[in-house]
Amino acid sequence: MSPKPVRSLLLVLLLCAPLCLAVRAADDWRPVDPAHLAMKTPVVEKDADAEVIFWDVKIDDASEDLIFTNYVRIKIFTARGVETQSKVDLEYFGSHRIKDIAGRTIKPDGSIVELKKDAVFDRTLVKISGIKVKVKSFAMPAVEPGGLIEYRWKEVRGGVSANNVRLQFQRDIPVQLVKYWLKPMSGSPAGMNVQTFHGDVPRFVKDKDGFYSTSMTNMPAFHLEPRMPPEDNERTWALVYYSVEKYSDPNKFWSDFGKRIFESSKQLTKVNDDIKKAAAAAIGDASTAEAKLERLYEFCKTKVKNSNSPEAGLTAADRAKLKKNESPADTLKRGIGTGDDITMLFAALAAAAGFETRICLMADRSDIFFDRNIANPYFLNTTDAAVKVGNQWRFFDPGSLYLPFGLLRWQEEGVLALVPDSKESAFVPTPVSSAKTSMQKRTAHLKLSEDGTIEGEVRVEFTGHFAIEKKNDNDDDSATEREKNLTEEIKQHMSTAEVSQIKFENVTDPFKPFAYSYHLKTPGYAQRTGKRLFLQPGFFQYGNAAQFPTSNRVHPIYFKYPWSEEDSVTIDLPAGYALDNADAPQPFMAGEISKYEMKISVAEGRRLMINRSFFFGGNGTLLFPNTSYTPLKNLFDTLHERDNHTITLKQAASAQQ
Amino acid sequence: MKQWKVIFQSAPIIIFLCLLSGGSCNRTVDAASDDAPAWLRQAASIPIQGYDKKVNAVVLVDDGTLKVEEDGRVTKGHRGAVRILTREGRAEARTRVIYQTDTEKVRDLKAWLIRPSGEVKKYGKEQIADISLADDDVYNESRVSVIIADNDAEPGAVFGVEWTTEDRSVFTQYPWYFQSDNPVVQSRFVVTLPVGWRAEAVTFNHPKIEPVVSGSTYTWELKDLPPVEEEPSGPRAGSLAASIAVSYFPAPNARSAAGRSFENWGDVSRWLTELSEPQAVLDDALATKAQSLSPRDAPELDRITAIGRYVQGVHYIAIQTGIGRGGGYRPHLSSEVFSKSYGDCKDKANLMKAMLKALKIPSYLVTIYSGDPTSVREEWPSPQQFNHCIIAVKVSDDTRAATIVNHPKLGRLLIFDPTDEDTPVGDLPDHEQGSLALIVAGDNGALMRMPVTPPESNRLERQSEVSLASTGAITGKIHEHTLGQAAVTARRELKHRPRADYVKIVERWITRGVNGASVTKVEPTDNSDGTFDLNVEFSGAAYAQLMRDRLMIFKPAVVARRDALFLTEKTRKHPVILDSQAYSETVRIKLPPGFDVDELPDATKLTAAFGAYSAACEVKEGFLIFKREMTIKSATVPVDQYAAVRSFFEKIRAAEQAPVVLARK
Repeated sequence: MSPKPVRSLLLVLLLCAPLCLAVRAADDWRPVDPAHLAMKTPVVEKDADAEVIFWDVKIDDASEDLIFTNYVRIKIFTARGVETQSKVDLEYFGSHRIKDIAGRTIKPDGSIVELKKDAVFDRTLVKISGIKVKVKSFAMPAVEPGGLIEYRWKEVRGGVSANNVRLQFQRDIPVQLVKYWLKPMSGSPAGMNVQTFHGDVPRFVKDKDGFYSTSMTNMPAFHLEPRMPPEDNERTWALVYYSVEKYSDPNKFWSDFGKRIFESSKQLTKVNDDIKKAAAAAIGDASTAEAKLERLYEFCKTKVKNSNSPEAGLTAADRAKLKKNESPADTLKRGIGTGDDITMLFAALAAAAGFETRICLMADRSDIFFDRNIANPYFLNTTDAAVKVGNQWRFFDPGSLYLPFGLLRWQEEGVLALVPDSKESAFVPTPVSSAKTSMQKRTAHLKLSEDGTIEGEVRVEFTGHFAIEKKNDNDDDSATEREKNLTEEIKQHMSTAEVSQIKFENVTDPFKPFAYSYHLKTPGYAQRTGKRLFLQPGFFQYGNAAQFPTSNRVHPIYFKYPWSEEDSVTIDLPAGYALDNADAPQPFMAGEISKYEMKISVAEGRRLMINRSFFFGGNGTLLFPNTSYTPLKNLFDTLHERDNHTITLKQAASAQQ
Repeated sequence: MKQWKVIFQSAPIIIFLCLLSGGSCNRTVDAASDDAPAWLRQAASIPIQGYDKKVNAVVLVDDGTLKVEEDGRVTKGHRGAVRILTREGRAEARTRVIYQTDTEKVRDLKAWLIRPSGEVKKYGKEQIADISLADDDVYNESRVSVIIADNDAEPGAVFGVEWTTEDRSVFTQYPWYFQSDNPVVQSRFVVTLPVGWRAEAVTFNHPKIEPVVSGSTYTWELKDLPPVEEEPSGPRAGSLAASIAVSYFPAPNARSAAGRSFENWGDVSRWLTELSEPQAVLDDALATKAQSLSPRDAPELDRITAIGRYVQGVHYIAIQTGIGRGGGYRPHLSSEVFSKSYGDCKDKANLMKAMLKALKIPSYLVTIYSGDPTSVREEWPSPQQFNHCIIAVKVSDDTRAATIVNHPKLGRLLIFDPTDEDTPVGDLPDHEQGSLALIVAGDNGALMRMPVTPPESNRLERQSEVSLASTGAITGKIHEHTLGQAAVTARRELKHRPRADYVKIVERWITRGVNGASVTKVEPTDNSDGTFDLNVEFSGAAYAQLMRDRLMIFKPAVVARRDALFLTEKTRKHPVILDSQAYSETVRIKLPPGFDVDELPDATKLTAAFGAYSAACEVKEGFLIFKREMTIKSATVPVDQYAAVRSFFEKIRAAEQAPVVLARK
């Protein structure tokens, strides 16, 4: 049969009317709406290559196994839609199974090509120690633009419940209708709850056969963008979970939960005589609360080996052999522990020194922004030590590698920490570090040659979160590898650079700034014309690309932590050339959020002195709605422009030939 | 009722990574009393010294064995030992055994790690991960068994491995690589054949390596080999490493179940023809489709193009079965591929062959290595040198195209790759141009050099009209017209991503040249003649820099300035491979009122055996006209000319960074 071109909607309707009846009679596929076959353009997003017509998921938690019955129908608009939607992989593992796969393609002329049973392949992706990750794979037959594909399958998760199952409402292509049915576990003391995130997902309402259902329409495709908040904070999804007690007041839930945490964490921070002695010895003559805590922190960082640190020199086998520390006393006695062991030890030492301490829980903001109105501890997945100083709770995480005293991991800054208590647990906001805390301090002493080559000594120092990231990136590398990576990084900005005499400092030191220095020679740094040399004084910004090059933005813009940059550069000018122009770029500021300044001066007639400073994220402002994209882009475009500012050197008249 | 519990529901891969790496899963470690075999102990005693600090690991022993039985069964074995010298070298504490499930079994695989303390850890079944090798394919029988001991290893440790497989595949040829990306102390390949059989080997990238023959056992061996390092725009490591390819042949007149032997390329052609020819089935539906696409009275090239376009639109999906029996070379039935509208490279080439058959146009499958034109060696007749399948279509003398080759017996053949959906009939992907490929045509089959299209066929022509304001602001229109592989690059950017992402690519490209530019128009046109057009309009508030309101400076190469050098290293070990390409650009810049030109960049003119470049500015009637042109020929430039190549591109970079200076009148 050769396909006939579709000439009009009427023809499509005529062709499809009997087809719909036939389909219904032949199988339990849902009838095909002729309008969907006739569709020429997407409904939800105008440029989509394919669009989900409907996406049904029935989740049955009432039987022994958890069963997902899935059915999806997709309209294909373009060749790219064919490319992205034709191949289907359904992954499963362990006791999970995929079964009852069926699929078919409805071509633009209404003819149907079934997915044959033998076209479904069961593959083992990985097998180890008797455990397998498998996938059922198939390619939909005869897919072409204008057609529809549909497939359905059952996923059976053996012996598990729907607790903490995530329901997605968005895909990589837009969706006209997504519908979930949920049948809760029966006979359990726990009730099923559904918490939705980032979208007005209607409440599940009672449906047929013990199911509850909800649906959403016209869901846009979800795509990631650079510098955006965590994915789960932006896409529409729902969390299914069971809870024995039903709380209408989240405060009551957290109060009760806090009490339980308070009780269970007592053992973890238990103080004995050894702990007391160690605390006293570590504190020594420190008199203020701040000084005492700093000494205890330093003790934990330096006297107890962190088994996760490359500095510990342990292989996986060594780690596996380590005995589990059951208490802070064990950690103290053995002198080695995991990050959590060390944090518990710190809490115990602080308690022994007379401080009120707690083990607190908090959410990781690289995963999601926590909402205390949701009565579910699912997202409180990190633990720190909370110590009361005066009337305020202070937070410490000595178990995290390279974290200096007074700083939390950026993921734990500006979040709510649940400080448990036997009576009144409380959510306490953690502080956000200042832009000065995380600084790149860069210096260069350079000499410019007549041919535009620049050469000299360079040093870069990182503090705060920059330092932690750099240490984590470099600690597992050999010296040779570090040099190679740094050279490549420099060449990405200055492709002609020749880098030598590289030295790294404080790569694994938990307290000192991470730093490196090197000798640099870059031919062609300045451009030469007949009588001038053109020089970019923003030496450390040479070759940088614009931060936000595109004009449209869907998601909010999000920065991990505030930061600052301080550059000090001297450039000795070549003989025979004089400054024709040494204007400095204009400074700018954006309220308390950001400020930029570059000062250029000349010493002894031949030495150019450039001081540049920049910070961003003042007042802890790190999250911007997408409506602020244009002004934010303008700020970074201005920064880029000012950093690319050029000054001119002119050949002295006597030197010109 | 099921038990109430909180269940771990997330990605299972984490579990596997954990198990593989021996990481934080608290598995018990094998007893320290595990002992290493004597051969490994001996290897571990080899003194290591004098290596460069960049060397992460040294291969102490790399021994492969191949034992062939009268019935064709092959037992493959391997012993290897590597000493880890640096933290990065820990990644060498792993092994992998690739096998095909239809004909091959991994009989035995074990490994040991001798730590610097002398303690030994043994790895056996519990630590072996069996992984699908091509998980993008809908189905593929190729698998790999791996042991990964990275997390247990440390500098100074020696990792040793021993494995055996049993193979009943149809293949009788085996390559052996003596070199790797680490230095090798000793590498050996031993082939044991039944009495009366013979083995032959060809050597690559090394003076001929003669085997030591003892009875029917052949041993090839090399010692103290330096590492092979890949370089940008250079050959892949496999094309550089000292290696041999061994073929074996049963005794004359012997009745053997051994697979097919290949004495010459004719043998390979005949075998591949046997496998593929029956698969080009032309049924009524396929014939009707072919005829409907290609009117009988149309010119020959148009008819071929119509079929080529259709087959390019068939979705690429790979289902690989029977690989050990030659399935990797046998296409699915063309009628089946037509009805499903998907297939892999050989399926698509075979479908096109069948459709052309309906038009009475003869064609032949062509096997080729995709990705490195230097890979295939004439001296080793073997289907195993190839990884891709394209097509050669017999054309009349009237048909003209840049990708026609002359076959001594088959005549004029138009070479085309129907898997590359962006390269039209009449062109060939650049990574296939100049490669040796086998025309699969029974007795007439032959290894042929694929055509190379000239630079002018792969050209980018850009016309820019821009206007500079006295504030330094810029508005501009760019028109690009591309041909050949330049058009393919442009087309690929458009076709394989959503429109919004394409616009972002254009915006990035413009803002790289004009900071903060606002792109107001992006209009791509994919032309039916295989060319591609792009029209872009943009504006930027601060393109030129004003200096004390007296001077204005800007770069006349507004977009796509060459601001980086791709050959960053000062020295080089291997040749530089250059692809055929050309561009020409004219930028007309309307100068701001109240300014005169004070200084222009010097004109640049470069010529070399492999290409030419020129750039120059002139001022005419209030416009600055900047012209640049580059032509690069397809070439493999020897190492001793590296400095010249690097200097050529560095001079282009410098020329395109040079600014124009205007002065206020």
